[in-house]
Amino acid sequence: MTTQSIRIHTASSDETRRLGTMVGRALAEPASIGLTGDLGCGKTVFVQGLARGLAVPDRYAVTSPTYTLINEYPGRLPFFHVDLYRITGADELTDIGMDDLAAGRGVIVIEWAERLPPELLSFDMAASIDMTGDFTRTFRFFFYRRPSGNLIRDLKNNFNADEE
Amino acid sequence: MKILGIETSCDETAAAVVEDGSRILSSVVASQVAVHHPYGGVVPELASRKHIEAIVAVVEEALEKAGLRTDQMDAVAATRGPGLVGALLVGFNFAKAFAYARAIPWTGVDHLEAHIYSVFFGDEVPGLPYAALLVSGGHTSIYHVKNHCEMTRLGETLDDAAGEAFDKVAKMLGLGYPGGNVISELAERGRPGKIQFPRAYMDKAAFAFSFSGLKTAVNRFIQTHPENYHELIPDIAAEFQAAVIEVLVYKLMRAAEKTGCRDIALVGGVAANRKLREELAKAAKDAGLTLFTPSIDLCGDNAAMIAGLGYHLLKDGDKSPEDLSADVYSRAARG
Repeated sequence: MTTQSIRIHTASSDETRRLGTMVGRALAEPASIGLTGDLGCGKTVFVQGLARGLAVPDRYAVTSPTYTLINEYPGRLPFFHVDLYRITGADELTDIGMDDLAAGRGVIVIEWAERLPPELLSFDMAASIDMTGDFTRTFRFFFYRRPSGNLIRDLKNNFNADEE
Repeated sequence: MKILGIETSCDETAAAVVEDGSRILSSVVASQVAVHHPYGGVVPELASRKHIEAIVAVVEEALEKAGLRTDQMDAVAATRGPGLVGALLVGFNFAKAFAYARAIPWTGVDHLEAHIYSVFFGDEVPGLPYAALLVSGGHTSIYHVKNHCEMTRLGETLDDAAGEAFDKVAKMLGLGYPGGNVISELAERGRPGKIQFPRAYMDKAAFAFSFSGLKTAVNRFIQTHPENYHELIPDIAAEFQAAVIEVLVYKLMRAAEKTGCRDIALVGGVAANRKLREELAKAAKDAGLTLFTPSIDLCGDNAAMIAGLGYHLLKDGDKSPEDLSADVYSRAARG
């Protein structure tokens, strides 16, 4: 398929979390998702919602993996939350075990995805996040593989969206 | 009882020998080995799987410094989680193999609970039970410690750890990364309250933390004051630090009150923050409580705390020694 993209505007961190949950619910098979955006733009909030959509139990706090690099959670599919903020080179990706994760064992969400070297920059879905106000954010989703179900339609119906 | 402790949960490869849970015979952290060990090689800051290259040298150095041989170890304790799975496996499997080869007991230790235990190496130690605040780059949580083998986590951060917020705010202000210490130094010259950032108390009666909103507030301030934020950096640092510390102090004092503890402890990498120590000492004094903090070298990740808590788990715990099928864990669930 050709890459589809959609823009979604959220007005609060709660709405950003709900957006994540809707994306998480739509994931039916192993997938890789890249996230980019400035410090404090809401990447972790989006991932918290996504984890709930993947049925990661509430007793796990979904927190920033900046220090721990990869946080793993049980869910409908195994869930790997990766943060490349501290990564400075391709050899370090091997060191933290990224090649094992790439084998498609579950859902992998990668924050600071732009730090991946180009040859590894392959996602089923990517989102870039812009801070448009104190609490408002604009998400730009790119689907490189057709999402399962009716995710794109559901996003349009439930959020302030414009198609590109 | 002499225990070999091993810690490989994140960046540091560490080994230590501790006697009876309280006397540190040696404590080695990988970065020191790079300097001192002739064939240890350079251990990168971001170690992770590089733990494999470092672990043997680090353990050898810990034994050498303790003046002991491998056959003089009575047991082994290694970090089991939480942390980076690939990194944890190196230390955990090393410990299993070491114990198996010598037919001595071994145990897995929770990294966070080991930090909580780190106040037990001082001359003055807290009485049980005590309430403890763990603050580091990767974690922020509050514990009620009934005894060494029974710790209840009352709450934790729901997003960023406090130390991470310090480092990321430093980055936003162009002070480099990690720059948590730079923030603390600049804060000395600034005035808290000149700029106002939110205090995230969450539910005041509960013990959850959130620092991501504060981080975002700082970023928004920078974005909306491109002309003059540079000259305000000390004030931004001071207000940011005050916002973090006020909440940390409030929650620990509240935990002591709720659990009826007379002793409190501050542990983890951010426990080295002088302002936090001061504010907490002040609050403790006002409330008639006694504050305990580990020495600076035991604030960061180390293996002495693993061996120390491991001693109590092996002596009093109900689940040790463990069998060889035990596995590591990335994240700890509540309850």
